[in-house]
Amino acid sequence: MSAPDLLRIPLLGRFLRWRYSRFVLQLPLLLIALLALYDGFFGRQLAPKNFATVSVWLHYRGFLVLAIAVFGNLFCAACPMLLVRGPTRFVKRFLPQFRWPRRLRNKYFVIVLTIFYLFAYEYWDLWASPWLTAWLIIGYFGAAFLVDALFPEGTFCKYVCPLGNFNFTLSTVSPTQITARDPQVCLSCEGKYCVNGRVETEGGRKTAREADPSEGVHYPGCETRLYVPQIQTNMDCTLCMNCLRACPYDNVALKLRFPGLEWLKARYRLDVVWLGVLLFFAGFMNALGMVPAYYQIAEDLSRLLGTRNEAILLIVIYALWIGLGGGITLLVTTLADRLSGVRQSPWKAVRYWGAGFFPLAFAMWAGHYAFHFLTGWATIVPVTQQALSNLGLPMGDPDWTLAALVPENWLYPLQVVILYIGLLAASYVLFGRARQRDHFLAGGVVFVYFFLLVALALWVLAQPMEMRGTLLLPPGSR
Amino acid sequence: MRKWAWLLVLALAACQPKHGEPLKAQVRFVPEHPSVGKAEVCIEVDPRVEFTRVTVVGDMTHPGMIPVKAEAHPAGPGLWRVDAFDFNMRGDWVLTITAYDKSGKKYTKEVRLTVP
Ligand code: SF4
Ligand code: SF4
Ligand SMILES: [Cu+2]
Repeated sequence: MSAPDLLRIPLLGRFLRWRYSRFVLQLPLLLIALLALYDGFFGRQLAPKNFATVSVWLHYRGFLVLAIAVFGNLFCAACPMLLVRGPTRFVKRFLPQFRWPRRLRNKYFVIVLTIFYLFAYEYWDLWASPWLTAWLIIGYFGAAFLVDALFPEGTFCKYVCPLGNFNFTLSTVSPTQITARDPQVCLSCEGKYCVNGRVETEGGRKTAREADPSEGVHYPGCETRLYVPQIQTNMDCTLCMNCLRACPYDNVALKLRFPGLEWLKARYRLDVVWLGVLLFFAGFMNALGMVPAYYQIAEDLSRLLGTRNEAILLIVIYALWIGLGGGITLLVTTLADRLSGVRQSPWKAVRYWGAGFFPLAFAMWAGHYAFHFLTGWATIVPVTQQALSNLGLPMGDPDWTLAALVPENWLYPLQVVILYIGLLAASYVLFGRARQRDHFLAGGVVFVYFFLLVALALWVLAQPMEMRGTLLLPPGSR
Repeated sequence: MRKWAWLLVLALAACQPKHGEPLKAQVRFVPEHPSVGKAEVCIEVDPRVEFTRVTVVGDMTHPGMIPVKAEAHPAGPGLWRVDAFDFNMRGDWVLTITAYDKSGKKYTKEVRLTVP
């Protein structure tokens, strides 16, 4: 446990401990969101030349994956949506307060919302419409406001936000994690302030629950209710650093780590593993939705079902694909269990082996986003120029001839490398877990399954991209 | 769905590019329905207006794609042509035709098409 602690880095540590550090991180993203709203509503409705679509679908997604790979869940830390906190604190006084239903305190609700979001993304072609993208931003802020006003803090992040849960899941690959510096100190810690919050009053130190809201200086605890000495995974950690500020013993560390340890050791809940599985198959679908084969499938399915209704076709395709993915995963992991001589319920098998899906899901999204981000990353310059000059600022003439960041023929090899690294990491998980059971072969079964999935993904990424909004072409035009 | 489409149309109408008058023009392609690769773009404008320059910029509807630009050359009264416009990818394209008159004033027209 002597991994380097990033909070020991002089300026960084000081900054993150500071009360307003999160606000400083949120402010730029808030300004970007406002500019996106402005351009999305009033700018030219052309996706590659509008700040809303370029910033949200290209840079936000690209940087997010990059940040998770090299550091951690920075985008939750900087999430401007949580700035609704100020207003909600005010309206909370007049509104009834609810508790989030116990049955929804898992990731299944998020899984449903994520599936709906993916459907909406394809059905309304959100990526192609600055206007809808702007509405998406508004809807998101509105949902955060509503949930935060009616439910306890942290409910939105943990149980509702599809984007945050996407970040949580992918950040299981991150090289950093919150941990206790010295677990012994936590054992003798009277208030467990990192999770309960700390209030310094004249009468002494209290937890947030013990103290009156109006007395003393408040240091809120972890909103997603993580207890620092027990954290094994980045799941649910927004890197908000509340724990750091709440701990009176300076016992919170942000340690560099080897993510593989988490995948091997953490005992993920079933709902968490399903979320990982879903994100892999969703990432695959997101990429497949951009290649000619997908449109061919849609045409064939349309003929088979005798309908040209895009919603029905999309639902059928998604249900088949995600159902098939879940089903085969269940079968293969159960088989692996049996091979290693373990007889337990199939759900437990998914929990045990499904951890391998985390690196795989990350690689799938990273591989696909890398393509778009590296091709178009420079377009943020003219798009910002144009949006600001529409606002009346003197910005000069936007130049749209900016080139891609890397030569075009590097893109596919790069995607191959990313997916292979994902497969390598996944096999580390599989064989590591197989070895814990002294049964190497069992890991091999799941590995073959993963290998085939990656091969399929690479085939999809090798196809020429087709950027089309309609699932079916008008009859006779092909 | 229809309601959405309507709202979208309204928003589109409200959000035409601020610079540039609408350009009255007929745009045709050879072949008539271009597929991925090169195609000819013919732009027929009002022959009574004297244009000095016509450009065609093609964008994909996906953010992050680099636009394709071309200069049209005059090919008869009121006729401008791009001989080989490069539809370099399948999908939805938005062509922006920009014409400049003698005084340098800009006129624009947008054409949307799907390249299978
Ligand atoms: S991290 Fe700090 S506040 Fe939390 S239990 Fe340990 S000593 Fe207490
Ligand atoms: S308070 Fe909770 S969510 Fe915030 S950084 Fe600490 S563990 Fe992560
Ligand atoms: Cu794509």
